[in-house]
Amino acid sequence: MLFVGDRQAKGWRIAISVLAYGLPFLFIVAPLLSFLTYSFFWVEGGQMHYDLTWRNYSRFFTDAIFIPVLWQTCLLCLAVAVLAALLGYPVAFRLATLSGRRKYILLMLVLVPLLMSYIIKIYAIRSILGGNGFLNRFLVWANLIDQPLTLFVFNLNAVLLTLTVLLIPFAILPIFLSLERIPKNLIEASTDLGASNWQTFCRVILPLSLPGVVTAASFVFVLAIGDFLTPQMVGGPNGFTFGRIIYSQFGAAFNWPFGAALSVILALVMSVVIALGRRFERQT
Amino acid sequence: MKIKLNRRAMIAMGVAAPALLRTSWARAASELRVMAWQGYADDDWVKEFQEQTGITAQVVFIGTDDEIWAKIKGSEGKDFDVFAVNTAQLQRYIDGGLTTPHDLAKLPNQKNVLPRFQDLAQIKGIMRDGKVHAIPFCFDSIGLIYDKAKVSPAPDSFTILWDPKYKGKVLAYDNGEHNFSFTALTLGFPDPFNLSAEQMGQIKAKLSELKQNVLSFYTTPDEALQLYKSNDVALIWANYGQQQVKAMKDAGADIGYVNPKEGALAWLDTWAMTSGVQDKDAAEAWVNFLLQKKIGEQLSERTGFGNTVAETGSANPNDKLVWLEFVEDPTKRSDLWNEVKAQP
Repeated sequence: MLFVGDRQAKGWRIAISVLAYGLPFLFIVAPLLSFLTYSFFWVEGGQMHYDLTWRNYSRFFTDAIFIPVLWQTCLLCLAVAVLAALLGYPVAFRLATLSGRRKYILLMLVLVPLLMSYIIKIYAIRSILGGNGFLNRFLVWANLIDQPLTLFVFNLNAVLLTLTVLLIPFAILPIFLSLERIPKNLIEASTDLGASNWQTFCRVILPLSLPGVVTAASFVFVLAIGDFLTPQMVGGPNGFTFGRIIYSQFGAAFNWPFGAALSVILALVMSVVIALGRRFERQT
Repeated sequence: MKIKLNRRAMIAMGVAAPALLRTSWARAASELRVMAWQGYADDDWVKEFQEQTGITAQVVFIGTDDEIWAKIKGSEGKDFDVFAVNTAQLQRYIDGGLTTPHDLAKLPNQKNVLPRFQDLAQIKGIMRDGKVHAIPFCFDSIGLIYDKAKVSPAPDSFTILWDPKYKGKVLAYDNGEHNFSFTALTLGFPDPFNLSAEQMGQIKAKLSELKQNVLSFYTTPDEALQLYKSNDVALIWANYGQQQVKAMKDAGADIGYVNPKEGALAWLDTWAMTSGVQDKDAAEAWVNFLLQKKIGEQLSERTGFGNTVAETGSANPNDKLVWLEFVEDPTKRSDLWNEVKAQP
């Protein structure tokens, strides 16, 4: 039916193009544009003013709290990205070396946590990390410590740990895919030429999988920096992050324009990270 | 309060709609259009009210403050006769001329309410120009929950939250507006809802100190309960009052609840009549009916909130309660609260 006549086919093509361009525009570009527009409005005394201004952006640079919090958040998320990549690599490596059904069962197991609600996972981790949580009770029971540790109770360490645990699947997948793409004959050639397994890994596999590692790290970084819920739930009084500031602008403060401006700034930071990641990938 | 329409209410409305059509042209005067929070107009009360007065109350339950405003303002008061609203929200209805004052002579039961609610002029916000625009009905305070095993004797002041003895054992609420208000009370400022820049500076410093004692800031009652269960928590600033106390006791916690001597913030829901009230007598009969001791007790038993007629756990007779009002600048308070949280 699709190709009954030229005119009809043309009509279909136009319809499909409209859908292909229209849907992303409607659901992605348009909301982002409205966000951008909002960031130039301003709020005073609970009243929104619709004339355009730079004041939200200048406030970000002049107010003493925002840049330090953003910087601290970036460092935190960088640590999460590095940790997730380091921990994810061995898992991905093992996955890639398995074959047949075992590979896909293990892959499914790695992905199962993604099917669970985010909130439930955070709640679970919280009851593991708490002062009387599972971890502390276990350590006390095992006589490894006398007093419950406060190292991972409602601070930045807890945020670091929780984000890493939650985001590891996102690190494993890209690394796994890049390992899968390495042609087997390269590895065989390396072995034929007398390289040890370790040498093959260092000289062949690792360099060829690095783009995947970079993708994984930038992926994890972007997901971590956009998260406000985890810091809110396990960060306690001192685990304050940029995402929490943005969140508060939409809830309690009722300052949508300023929240939008902070989000635009965060989006810029993310874009820079993604761009850096891509540049690195192309170089290798 | 965030209660959604439940199935019972939906069914009630479905049954009520045809009934409304049938009777509205026969006996229009015996219909009363009520807008209420879930728990403020239970089926058995509506039935009993009808048996006693012959008036059928058609109840619509609402879920948010904004929904009340949309429905009352949207019809300029014509779609309902009587509605439940808190004292802070009430102000914009009075400002907009959307209320009709009550005639106390038609509310004999108001004479029997608790001493705290006897003198309506003492309750800020419900009277204007000598007229009573709303009748208090249900309230709850925001006091302190303490673990009886860890805090002894029972605390009587908010200052205990700052006590280094309880470092890392305090749960506070993550909201700048309320935190500034209660800290203002703790510091003895006369009007916690209208603070000067200087007072705000002092409060901010005080809240930064509080932060050092706090284990975590929570947002929902469930969250606070979970934190309490898996950590060594001694004191909780109880934003959800009796609701939280009940949830914790149900979970087996040995806790007490106090309204500290500096005064506890408290919300107060009232009954107001709309400007479009069709049968004023019927509306006042409804409010008077609900001011019975039996109803008050049932209300508290079922919802956990305090009522205005019988004493409950929400407040002891001599507790100082400070009825919530709109604050001078919520955005400013929220910004300052963020600064407190961002400090190392």
